[in-house]
Amino acid sequence: MTESVRPKILIITTNHSSYPGANAVGQARLAYDSNTYILRVPDPVMFPEEFYLNAFEKGIGGIIIMSSGSDCPYEGAYPRLSARIQNVYNKMKAKNMDINRLKLTTICTVCTESFLKEVANMEQVVSK
Amino acid sequence: MKNDNLKIAVYICHCGGNISDVIDVKRVSQELATYPNVVIGKEYAFMCSSTGQDMVIEDIVKSGINRVVIAACSPALHEATFRGALKRAGINQYLYEHVNIREQASWVHKKDKEGATLKAIALVKAAVEKMARQDELNTIKVPTTQRVAIIGGGIAGMRAAISSAAAGLDVVLIEKQSHLGGKLKRSSAIYPTNETAASVVETLEGLIELNAKIKVFCNAKISSISGFAGNFQINFEFDEAKTEKVEAGVIIIATGFDHYKPYEGEYAYGLSNRVVTLPVFIDIMGTSAEKKLIYDGKTINRIVFVHCVGSRQIDGIDNAQDNGKVNDYCSRVCCSSALFTINKLKDKYPDVDVMDIYSDMRSYGMEHETYYENASKKDILFLRRPLEERPTITPLPDGTFSVKTVDVLTWNEELELIADMIVLVTGMIPNEITDLLEYMKIPRSSDGFIQEVHPKLRPVESANKGIYIAGTALGPMDIIETLQASNTASSKAVALLSQPEIHMDPFVAVVEEDKCSGCGLCPQECSYEGALCMRETDVNGNVKMVASVNQALCVGCGACVAVCPTRAINVAGWTLDQFDAMVEAIAKG
Amino acid sequence: MTQITNNITDVLVIGSGIAGLQSALDIGDSGYNVTIIEKSPSTGGKMISLSKVFPTLDCASCITTPKMAAVLHHPKVKTMTYTEVKAIRKISDGFEVDVEKKPRYVIEEECISCKKCEEACPVYLDDEFEYGLGVKKAISIPFTNAIPQLPVLTESKCIRCGACAKACPKDCIDFLQEPVSMTIKAKAIIAATGYEIVPMGTKKEYSGDTLLNVISSLQSERLLAPHGPYGKVLRPSDGKIPDNIAYVQCASSRDKSIDVPYCSRVCCMYAIKQAMLLAGALPLAEITIYYMDIRAFGKGYEQFYAQARAMGICFVKAKVAKISEDTEHNPILRIDRQEDGSKPQDQTHDLVILSQGILPTRKDFFGLDVALNEYGFIQSAAPTLSPALTNIDGFFVCGVARGPKDIPDTIMEAGSAAMEAVNYIKGKM
Repeated sequence: MTESVRPKILIITTNHSSYPGANAVGQARLAYDSNTYILRVPDPVMFPEEFYLNAFEKGIGGIIIMSSGSDCPYEGAYPRLSARIQNVYNKMKAKNMDINRLKLTTICTVCTESFLKEVANMEQVVSK
Repeated sequence: MKNDNLKIAVYICHCGGNISDVIDVKRVSQELATYPNVVIGKEYAFMCSSTGQDMVIEDIVKSGINRVVIAACSPALHEATFRGALKRAGINQYLYEHVNIREQASWVHKKDKEGATLKAIALVKAAVEKMARQDELNTIKVPTTQRVAIIGGGIAGMRAAISSAAAGLDVVLIEKQSHLGGKLKRSSAIYPTNETAASVVETLEGLIELNAKIKVFCNAKISSISGFAGNFQINFEFDEAKTEKVEAGVIIIATGFDHYKPYEGEYAYGLSNRVVTLPVFIDIMGTSAEKKLIYDGKTINRIVFVHCVGSRQIDGIDNAQDNGKVNDYCSRVCCSSALFTINKLKDKYPDVDVMDIYSDMRSYGMEHETYYENASKKDILFLRRPLEERPTITPLPDGTFSVKTVDVLTWNEELELIADMIVLVTGMIPNEITDLLEYMKIPRSSDGFIQEVHPKLRPVESANKGIYIAGTALGPMDIIETLQASNTASSKAVALLSQPEIHMDPFVAVVEEDKCSGCGLCPQECSYEGALCMRETDVNGNVKMVASVNQALCVGCGACVAVCPTRAINVAGWTLDQFDAMVEAIAKG
Repeated sequence: MTQITNNITDVLVIGSGIAGLQSALDIGDSGYNVTIIEKSPSTGGKMISLSKVFPTLDCASCITTPKMAAVLHHPKVKTMTYTEVKAIRKISDGFEVDVEKKPRYVIEEECISCKKCEEACPVYLDDEFEYGLGVKKAISIPFTNAIPQLPVLTESKCIRCGACAKACPKDCIDFLQEPVSMTIKAKAIIAATGYEIVPMGTKKEYSGDTLLNVISSLQSERLLAPHGPYGKVLRPSDGKIPDNIAYVQCASSRDKSIDVPYCSRVCCMYAIKQAMLLAGALPLAEITIYYMDIRAFGKGYEQFYAQARAMGICFVKAKVAKISEDTEHNPILRIDRQEDGSKPQDQTHDLVILSQGILPTRKDFFGLDVALNEYGFIQSAAPTLSPALTNIDGFFVCGVARGPKDIPDTIMEAGSAAMEAVNYIKGKM
C-alpha cells in the first residue's frame, strides 16, 4: 500500500514531552500511518502564525501540535501558544480552510493511546 | 559561515534489521547521495558501533565532511554518541543532525514498507536541509562571583551559610534583626530532641564565628538587588547609617515565617490575658513555677487548646486576612507542636485538665505519633470538630471561659466546656518581604509564601535562576525540614558556582542585528525578566535600537521568535529558516 | 566469577529512586565523581512507576525520565544498574564497597534495545513493574521508559529454547554470563535505599493477599497510569469497570498490632490524588475514602484536599475493622463510623484499595554498623545540626531511608545529603 499520494501530516512535538511520547508509541510497537512526519522543537510557541499557513500552502495536509500543556517547562509559553493558534484559526476561516486541519493538543511522555487517537483523527480530516 | 563549502555526509543505520527489515535503507542512502550538498550517502548495519563511529570520523578527516546526518534510532539513545564522534574528529559537535527512523518509522509502520521508506527519505532530506543552515554553536560561558549572599539569619540562613562556606564559597549573611537565630532564640524545648531552641542556634552560631569565610551583617535593610545568576549586586544599610554593596553569584532567601496573630475577638483573643497563642504559651511554660501553673494572677486548672487558628480556613466561614484571602493552607507543624507542648504541660502539672479541639490530628512525623499516644494516655480530652464547625469561646464574668464545640466522637453533640485558660494553636504566615520579592522579581504561591519553580522536583529553586530558597520562606516546616531545605539550597549554590564560569547549552535566542528593525515586539513576549530588551547598539557604524539577549537568562523557549517581523531573532540550532526548509523538504517528499 | 578491582569514586550512592538520582546530580554538578549502585535493572525507583503526582498532577514519568536521562548522560555520574551491594567496609580514607553485577544474559555494550528477543520469547511471567497486574516475557526490557533500555533474562523461568538468541540481530544473548564481583573505593556514601510498602497480607483482618478485588495503592497507581497494564481502570477479578470504589486509609500505618505505629505521611495525599484521577477516568463512579485523620500538611495539599471534596469524593471518618467478599468477589468492608455514632455496618464496594504504609527497604547496611531508629529507618545522628548525618563518618542518608516522606521532602533531603558528602570530601582534601 503506497501512501505517497495521501496528504501529509506534520506532527510538531516538544523535546520535553511529546517527542519522547512518540518514541513510547514505537517502543510499544503500536502502528499508525506513514504519512506522518514528526518535527521536534523546544516549544511550538516559537512558530509564527504564517508558519502554519505556509506549511499548508506547501502541501501539508494537516498539522498536529503536540504541546507539553501544563507540563510545559517554559513560563507563559502555553497560553501564548494557544492564543496564537486561535489567530491561525481565524486566518484559516478567512481563507475558507477547514480549521480541523490544525489541531493543538497535549501529549505526555507515556500518552501512547492519546497519540494514536490524535493521529487517527487527523487522518480522517486529511482524507476528506 | 553559512554554506560556502557545504559537505554533508548522510548515514542510514540498519539497526541490524530493526530499520532495514522495513525501510529500504539502500534506496534511502542512494537517493540522498545525489541530494544537493550531500557528498557521502552510506548505509551500515550498526552506526552506533565503534566501526560505525570510526567510519564517520574517517569521512570527516579524509573527505573534509563538515555536516553529518545520521538516520537511526531515537536521539535519546545516540545523539550524544555521534556528537562525541564529531568532537573526536575535530569539528563542532552541533553540526550534527539525528533522524529517528526507528521508534518513529520502522517500528510503527511495519506493514507499510514503501510508505516507511518514503517517509525516511523525506525526513533525512529535511535533516540535510536543516544542516545546510546550521552554524557552529558553542557552549555559553558566564563568569561568576564566587560568593553567596544569604538573606535572613535564622537557622535556615545560618545552616546555608555554614554549608556554602565549607564548600569554599565566600558568604555574606544579611540579617535584619540585631542578632542571629530568628524565632529560635528562646529557651523553650523543641521536638524531637528535647533540647532548648537556643542551643540549636548556639551550635550553629559557634560554627559561623569560627568560619572566616562568613561575614555577618546585622540590623540590615536591603535597598536594592540587581543582576542575574552568577552576578548579583545587593545594596543594603546596616548598623544604622553604614552602607554596603555586595557582589554575589547566588542569593539564598532564608527570610523565614511569622506567627499568625489572631484578630481581636477571634476565639476571644484580646478579650482576656488568658487567651494566648501557642508560641506565647510555650514561653509561659518555660518560665512558670513548679507544681502550680499560675498565670495572670490566677491558678490555672483547666486549659482548652484550639487547633487550626489561622490555618485551614474556609471561605465564607472564616474572615479574610489583610490580603483579602483566607489562609486555606495547613501550617504543618502546629499539631505536633501542640501535642509536644501538652505532654510537657502534663509532665510539669499533672493536675491541670487539658481539652484539645481539633479537626484532623496531623502528627505526621516519625516520633509525632507517640506524642499523640502519650497525650491520650494522660487523659487529655480530645474533641474532634467537623471541618466546617468552629468553637465559640466566651469569657464569663468569673474570669473563666465558656467553650462550645461540636464533637463528632460523641454523636455531633454540642458540648460546653469551662476553662480558665485558652491556648490558640496558631499557624505560620509568610514574613513581610514584599520589597525583597519585588527587587528579585520572584512570585508568591497562592498561600503567600515564596513560589518555587516546580513544587515537586525543584522545591528550593525560585523562578529566577541563581536565587534559591531555604526554610520556612517556602512554607511551613519544622526545624529538621528547615535544615534539610537549607542544605539543599546551598547544594544548588555550590553546584552553580562549582566552576569560575557557568556553562550553558547554546540553544538560546540570538539576534541578527542588521536584520532587526528595532520594533520592540519581542521583549513583550519574553516571560523571563531581563532576558531580552531593546538596546541602543552600534551596528556596522549605524547606531540604532536593536533587540539584545542576555544569554545567561534566556531559556530558549522561542516565544520571541514568533513575533519578529523580519526573522532577526531565532533560537540557535532551531531557526525558523531551518524549520521552513524542513517542512518544504517533507512536503516535496 | 570475575573479579574487577580498582574502581574509585568520590561518592557512592546506593539507590536510584528520586532520592538517589537527585543527590547524584547535585554532587556531579558540584564537580565530584559519583557512582550509583542500583539493584533493579532500571533507574527511577518507585517514582517512575507512579501515575501522576500530587498536588501538581504532573505525569510522574514526564518528570522522572528527564532526571534519569540527566544521570545517564552526566559526565560525572556512573550508574551501575542490576547491581547489588554485598559488603561495605569502613577504611581509613573512606569505604570499600563490594558489589555484584547480576547477569542480564545480554552483552550490554552490544545491545541496541530493539526488543526482538522479547518479541521472540514464548515465556510469559508476572510483571513486577506492574505489581503482578500484567505479564512480561522471560526476556524483556523492564518497562517502556526504563533507563538503560536493556533487556533482562529471567534465568529461572527461561526454557532455553534459544528463540531470543536467534532473533537478536547483534548476537548478544549470552546464556553463560555470570555475576561480576568488584570492589569500589568511595570517599563517602549516601544511602538512598528508599522503601517497600507493607506486604498486602500483613493486616490479617483485611485479607489483602487473598481477596481478588482488594489491591494495593501501588497497584492502583499502575491501573491509573496512561501506560498501565490494561490501559484503563479495570478490576482484577473479572475485568469489570468498577463503579463503586473505596480507599482504606492507614491500612497498615498508625497500627501497633502490625508494628507500624508511625504515620506513613504520603497515603492521605496519594489516595486523594488517585481518587481524583479515578473520578476523571470514571466520571460516574462513586469513590469513598475511609480515614482517621486526613493529613494534608504539605505545600498546596490542603487546597488539593478541598478540591477533592468539591469534586464529590466522599470522605468518611471511619475505621475499617475487617474486609471480606461476596460471591461475586465484591469486597465487603465492616466499617465503624466515627461521625454519627451508628453501629458497625457492612459496605460493599466493587474495588477496594488499601493505602499501604511504608517500610524501610533495608534494615542492615552490608556489615556497616549504621544506627537505625526503632522502626528500622536510618537514624539521624544530629537532627538539629544536619539531619543527613548518621553515626558513621562519611555515611549520609536521604529520602525515605530516613523515614517516610513525599517527593518534595525527599528532594530537599537529597540535596542536603549531597551537600554534606561534598563538604565531607572537601574537608578531607
